Amino acid sequence: MSDPATQPKFLPYEERCEVEDFILTEARYADESRYDDWEALLEDDMIYWVPRGVGDFDPNRDISIINDNRSRVATRIRQLKTGTRHSQTPVSPMSRVISNIVITRLSDSEYKVNANFVLHEVAVQSTEIMNIMPGRVEYHIRRRENGFGMFYKKITLINGASAVPTIAYLI
Amino acid sequence: MSSSDELPIGQLVRKESVHSRVYTDQKIFDREMEEIFRQGWVFVGHASEVPKKGNFIRRTMGLEEVLMVRTMDDDISVLANRCAHRGNLLCQHKKGKKRNFACEYHGWVFDFKGNLIDVPFSDGFKGELSDHATTAAKVSNYRGFVFATFNTDPISLEEHLGRARFALDRASDLAPGGELDLYGGWVEHAFKSNWKMLAENNVDGYHVSFVHDSFAKGIKVNYKYENVLVTEEDKLECVARDLGDGHAEIDYEPTYEKPLVWLGVDPDKYPEYTDAMAKAYGAEESQEIMRKGPPHTFIFPNLFIAETAVTMVQPTGVDGVVNWHTPLYLKGAPEAVNRRILRQCEAALGPSAFLLADDATISERQWAELENSPAWLDLSRGADREEVEEGGTITSHYTDETPNRGYWQHYAKVFNDADARAANNAKSAVEAAE
Repeated sequence: MSDPATQPKFLPYEERCEVEDFILTEARYADESRYDDWEALLEDDMIYWVPRGVGDFDPNRDISIINDNRSRVATRIRQLKTGTRHSQTPVSPMSRVISNIVITRLSDSEYKVNANFVLHEVAVQSTEIMNIMPGRVEYHIRRRENGFGMFYKKITLINGASAVPTIAYLI
Repeated sequence: MSSSDELPIGQLVRKESVHSRVYTDQKIFDREMEEIFRQGWVFVGHASEVPKKGNFIRRTMGLEEVLMVRTMDDDISVLANRCAHRGNLLCQHKKGKKRNFACEYHGWVFDFKGNLIDVPFSDGFKGELSDHATTAAKVSNYRGFVFATFNTDPISLEEHLGRARFALDRASDLAPGGELDLYGGWVEHAFKSNWKMLAENNVDGYHVSFVHDSFAKGIKVNYKYENVLVTEEDKLECVARDLGDGHAEIDYEPTYEKPLVWLGVDPDKYPEYTDAMAKAYGAEESQEIMRKGPPHTFIFPNLFIAETAVTMVQPTGVDGVVNWHTPLYLKGAPEAVNRRILRQCEAALGPSAFLLADDATISERQWAELENSPAWLDLSRGADREEVEEGGTITSHYTDETPNRGYWQHYAKVFNDADARAANNAKSAVEAAE
């Protein structure tokens, strides 16, 4: 039997629904390349991190696939919105499924969410290949007026240590 | 390989054009793997990636799996990652530390030079251990950059590197101790295109304003890129160079008016670094090294020093290539400098980068088109305004196709030389028979 102290505490049903709804909304904005809507979910201390696969990486030492602070995410989105970001022109149709959601309360106003995902993406701007990108995702979010803001998203691709195709969309 | 079914690949390269078949023909690809990636020198890794005796990394030379190992006498060896018994992959791990390589199929054990040193149930083993070594490549190292070849009688590495060796000096000299330390790991980015398109694109200055237009518009502060992204031809100050032997570069140095512009910071940003550099090289020389910054140089066939990154081109098939990159970490430089290098490397290279993601897409579109509609491709831009420097290096405007012309002339020479050797051998064989 595992130690009950390390088990995630059940959140009240409504609180869980609120958090889940935020996570699934974020996924929908990303799927639909709704850049402004997605960016509006971010807090000023946002970290958007895709390490190179599964493992214990130091983001200040080991090279990452993406390691954006808030200002670099802003650059990323400005670039996507130029109309000449060839690797997302036209944008990839995408569908991601988020599951195995575990929510942990970090403080009165902050939550950590761990989940699994499978992202399907069609590279319509180049190869027309359907890429399948599976992995784990960790979000940190905090309450703000009218819902939540996200200040951390770590995407661990299970194939991140192997050669991966272009990922210019919001993952 | 018999000479009768070999293609005259050299005929697909003209002075100012190249035929698209070189990117799409499986038979040409197979010959490239032999003549370029087995018979020529290939970059395998950096000595700092195997710092201790017994450290190894898994790499490829062309399509062939190899292990790069720090041997017990502190040398570096490169071995075919294949058991000499039944051909099983000798080592599955991408990196690590071992005392020897023991095959997991029947337990044959090889030392770091490829010698077979033990066979289980030896009573039934026929022959000599020494008859069953795994293939060891010839290995040579310049400033820690380790190159290997399966050619048993190659030209020297110095001859292969030619004038491109100065790029490896330029990169290494940025460290106060003159050494790089590539501990950041590699990201591998897969493109569905031919490996040579990536190699060419690395030193093509003409595409920058077009393929990377979105980056120019997306970044708020241009700084180190401000000269590169201007759209008026006569205001571009960088130059393109054909260094000979298939090596080529774009040089941003003419645009760097003071030290550390290449890091996108003011010259006094890292006093600890500038002090260490002054101590190592003297005040004046260190300022000049830090002004010139790192090279943007492609070294035939698979190494590219992309300013603050080391990258390598791994062909995976006629229609596949993987671009590897790692930060150009400077040994002995303060952590803040290397962290800055890491952030620049992540911005420029990899599947999600501001630059390479778009290069990959254009390259994939180009490959798909060429597969279905063969054509001669023009490489003439700037051929009438080049300058030949002492030593043979050809310099031209940043946007000129000088690097590409040099690349293809060398490529054609590799196959013309191989075809001439094969014809000679065939002739000798006929004469011997008569």
